[in-house]
Amino acid sequence: MTETSAEVRSGRRLTPIWILPLVALAMGAWAVVYTLANEGPEVQVRFASAAGLTAGKTKVKFRELEVGVVKELRLSEDQQAVIGVLEMDRGIRDLLREDTRFWVVRARVSGANVSGLETLLSGAYIEFAPGDGKRGATKYVALDAPPQTPVGAPGLRLTLLSSRTHSVSAGDPVLYHGYTVGCVESLEFNLDDRNIRYQVFIDEPYHELVDSSVRFWDAGGITLKAGAEGFEFSTTSLETLLIGGVAFDRPPGFDRGLPAADGDQFRLYSSQAKSEQDPYRHGKYYVVEFTQSLRGLQSGAPVEYRGIQLGYVVKIMLEEMMAADIHGSGAPIPVMIYLEPGRLQAGDTPEMVETLHQSVAEGIGLGLRASLSTGNLLTGALYVNLEYYENLPSEEMGEYNGFPVIPATAGGFARIGQQVSELLDKVNGLALDETVDNANASLAQLSGTLEALRNILEQNDTQALTAELRNLLQELQALTAGMGPDSALYQSLDASLRELNETLSNLSALTGTLSAKPNAVVMPANIPDDPVPEAPR
Amino acid sequence: MTTAAANNLASCHLCCKLSSASESHCSRCGAPLHVRKTNSLQRTLALLITANVLYVPANVFPIMITDQLGQSVPSTIIGGVVLLIQLGSIPVAAVIFIASVIVPLSKFLIMYYLVWAVANPRQAGLRQHTQVYRVTEFIGKWSMIDVFVVAILVALVHLGGIIEIRPGIAALSFAGVVITTMIAAESFDSRLLWDHLEAEKHD
Repeated sequence: MTETSAEVRSGRRLTPIWILPLVALAMGAWAVVYTLANEGPEVQVRFASAAGLTAGKTKVKFRELEVGVVKELRLSEDQQAVIGVLEMDRGIRDLLREDTRFWVVRARVSGANVSGLETLLSGAYIEFAPGDGKRGATKYVALDAPPQTPVGAPGLRLTLLSSRTHSVSAGDPVLYHGYTVGCVESLEFNLDDRNIRYQVFIDEPYHELVDSSVRFWDAGGITLKAGAEGFEFSTTSLETLLIGGVAFDRPPGFDRGLPAADGDQFRLYSSQAKSEQDPYRHGKYYVVEFTQSLRGLQSGAPVEYRGIQLGYVVKIMLEEMMAADIHGSGAPIPVMIYLEPGRLQAGDTPEMVETLHQSVAEGIGLGLRASLSTGNLLTGALYVNLEYYENLPSEEMGEYNGFPVIPATAGGFARIGQQVSELLDKVNGLALDETVDNANASLAQLSGTLEALRNILEQNDTQALTAELRNLLQELQALTAGMGPDSALYQSLDASLRELNETLSNLSALTGTLSAKPNAVVMPANIPDDPVPEAPR
Repeated sequence: MTTAAANNLASCHLCCKLSSASESHCSRCGAPLHVRKTNSLQRTLALLITANVLYVPANVFPIMITDQLGQSVPSTIIGGVVLLIQLGSIPVAAVIFIASVIVPLSKFLIMYYLVWAVANPRQAGLRQHTQVYRVTEFIGKWSMIDVFVVAILVALVHLGGIIEIRPGIAALSFAGVVITTMIAAESFDSRLLWDHLEAEKHD
């Protein structure tokens, strides 16, 4: 019997139990991958304060839907604000653009409205308005207050510029003929250009009313006009009277302009009247360098071409002149003017500005010059006159500090002064001395003649003549006194005249009869004829 | 003192009848007969690793989500302990901390150590090893207290929209940790600790 021996191997083989940790690991890995894949973008929003915000609790909502949560709140590095790290849902990534705006929704009571009351129970939350700028921004600054327009509302967002503050504040209505078509979203003071910028939103169907030719003005307050017809009192609406507002319209005589686009800038006028006075939007700056005195030239003075206003004087560019370091050299003083083609009724468009520029450039070659003229003789106020002059050296449009230069020439009073001095020169050239000598000789002769005349008058004969003349006059007086109305002569004369009158009147009756019937002297008075019957007709 | 294995005997896992080690099945109940639990170390190790993997989500993810007035507040185990300490309930915090952090962690370490001790046999401390193993096996099931608390809260607090408690992913993971560590402790054959002592005697 052969001895069988089993081959003994070590029992070191893997048991199926090892599947368990592998499955657990796989699940863990899947969970990690899933979480990473579903992890939404994280954004940092700078808040003025963390009032009402709690890390891990405060939600981010969009159209009242939860789309994220505040993950972390910390002080900003400059310790001036609170940085909120928001963890957003993955599907929201597309809405986070460069111009996305965040704000905190909490209960607010302001002059015009009450909002966010529901947050009293549920706590504040963060809302945002998606933008349409570049994607991928991660740092934002939260708005101080919710924007006035609802998130994603269709319409037109415009910027109004004003150099002074008006009675307009955020939330005020934008009116068209008194009807509310939008609202003022925000206002801010821009330090760079010292302008106040109003963000205005026009609701959808009404944004078509806005085009490049409309003008905006402050509609708040009361307009009181005193005129020949008496006082005229007007206000847009009680609402605007109390809280202000912005109105817009097309100035009279303006055609429909180009449709406005998002972000367009308009000027905000202080009143409707102002908006109609200077309603032009497009223009170009020019510089005129004057060598004569600018006394009386003020900014805002008109620039005219043959009496038609083309623009106005912006300023005397003293700063630029000083910066150029040419003081003491008697250099001309540059004056900045602004020409608006819209004033020529040619259309208020950038193309017309270019056309005007072309014609000015061509005109300069043909003798177009700017000159200072006196607009008001009493105040001495000057205006800039553009006019074609002949016999001038040909010039071309230059450039000063980047602005085109219209060459200047002496004009107005300066020109008159020149002419007067020319006249005086001519007067100086006249031979006045000889004339005066001649005149002196003539006068000497004249005085001799007068002397002779006096000698004649002083002779005795002349004296006697006057005495005789007096006697004669006395006799004449006595004679006329004898013929007064009470004298006998006068009365007899009067009676004779009356008789003569009677005789003459009888004589006139006689002559009348005689002229009608010359035979009356010899014939009796005429006898009427026998009546003759007439046949009926 | 002699052991069954030294006498070439094997104990049936089910009915504990001693049979000759050469038998493949128990003569009484017919169960497969092994001298020691099969692949004890591998099983224990595999289950320990599984439990370890599950322990990560159990602590990272929220174990309980409280929906209160529309606001849902997730809370993790450690977060809950910290919250309880802040609220001043230090005993409760201590119970939860011990049951859900100290016990599972110490159980992991002890089991790893025991597995290592079997693989690298030494003379000293064999009795303590066995005692530690017994304590671990006993106390391990108390880790389930967390899962039970969550289960009870979920069942009890269900007041419509006002307040509601939902279990989080961590609750399931934690239950998995407790169960796998219990099975790991069960799979570990404590007799392996002593086997090398017998082997050295025979040598």
